Amino acid sequence: MKKIVFLSLILVLLCVGQVAAKSRTYGKGIQLTEVTKISTILDNPESYEGKRVKVAGMVVGVCASRGCWIYLTSDRPYEKIQVKVTDGEIVFPMSASGHQAQVEGVVDVMNLTLEQMTNYERHLAEERGEAFDPATVKGPGKLVRIIGLGAEIEE
Amino acid sequence: MRIRWRKWNTVIHRDLGYICFGLTVIYAISGLAVNHIADWNPSYRIERLTTTMQLQEGLSAADLVPSILQGLDETGKYKNSFQPDPNTLKIFVEGNTLTVNLKTGLIDQEKVTKRPGLFEVNFLHLNHPKKMWTIFADLYAIALLLLAITGLFILPGKKGIKGRGAWLTTLGVLLPIFFVWLYG
Repeated sequence: MKKIVFLSLILVLLCVGQVAAKSRTYGKGIQLTEVTKISTILDNPESYEGKRVKVAGMVVGVCASRGCWIYLTSDRPYEKIQVKVTDGEIVFPMSASGHQAQVEGVVDVMNLTLEQMTNYERHLAEERGEAFDPATVKGPGKLVRIIGLGAEIEE
Repeated sequence: MRIRWRKWNTVIHRDLGYICFGLTVIYAISGLAVNHIADWNPSYRIERLTTTMQLQEGLSAADLVPSILQGLDETGKYKNSFQPDPNTLKIFVEGNTLTVNLKTGLIDQEKVTKRPGLFEVNFLHLNHPKKMWTIFADLYAIALLLLAITGLFILPGKKGIKGRGAWLTTLGVLLPIFFVWLYG
């Protein structure tokens, strides 16, 4: 009986190890337990500004030059949010695209003028290695993003 | 006594030089690669292709995925798909991201591969591994500092730090100060 319990325990531990090995931790990892919906943050960004949140979604874009940002899909269709991290502190790999992720960070809200928005979009295009057309910038606007402190991305 | 001191200085410089050779090559190659990050991607090779495909009508975006991948002969492992807007479908495959215009059938592919060798040296140089590598890289930095200091005292006499060496060392210190003054 003891042998069976012991073997079962080892099996369970091995399985847990396998599951854990399928995701990779970045930065400080995840400490919060409750997930905040991205759509809720985007609906009321001011009420979340400066607050630490945990969000979840699929990685649909990665900074190609420095791995310093990713885009996560929202729980609502056609919506995504940028997660920005300090250059070098966390480096997201290009292979993260298409994988599910959990991110913990602080909500950041910026009101950008047309010029600031154009510069921001140009910078993003440069990091993606894509051509930039200023005509695609719709105008001044509010930029809501998460300053990432830690993440777990499935592999 | 003086001779023995210089002998140990040379021994430390020589042996640290041997130990640091590999890492110095790694940091130098990566340094060159990363210095020009504005002009190229030092870690990944990104290839962009544009094609057009006749998309099957009456299918949802998600149901179109298999036929699109088959039509492009894309055999990489499928990861996921996402619609950033009603007319666009993004398909994520291992090493490839496809952006499909559902109205026109225009497909942009972004094929990403690691630059062999360069990816690894940048991975180490930019301290992506963190953890134990941070300590190792700190030790390497200390070793470089020791190499620089011991290097000053290798040669005695006019060609050493009391003569020619002093001028060259001063030049080496002044050059970075000049650039800070110029651009700082």
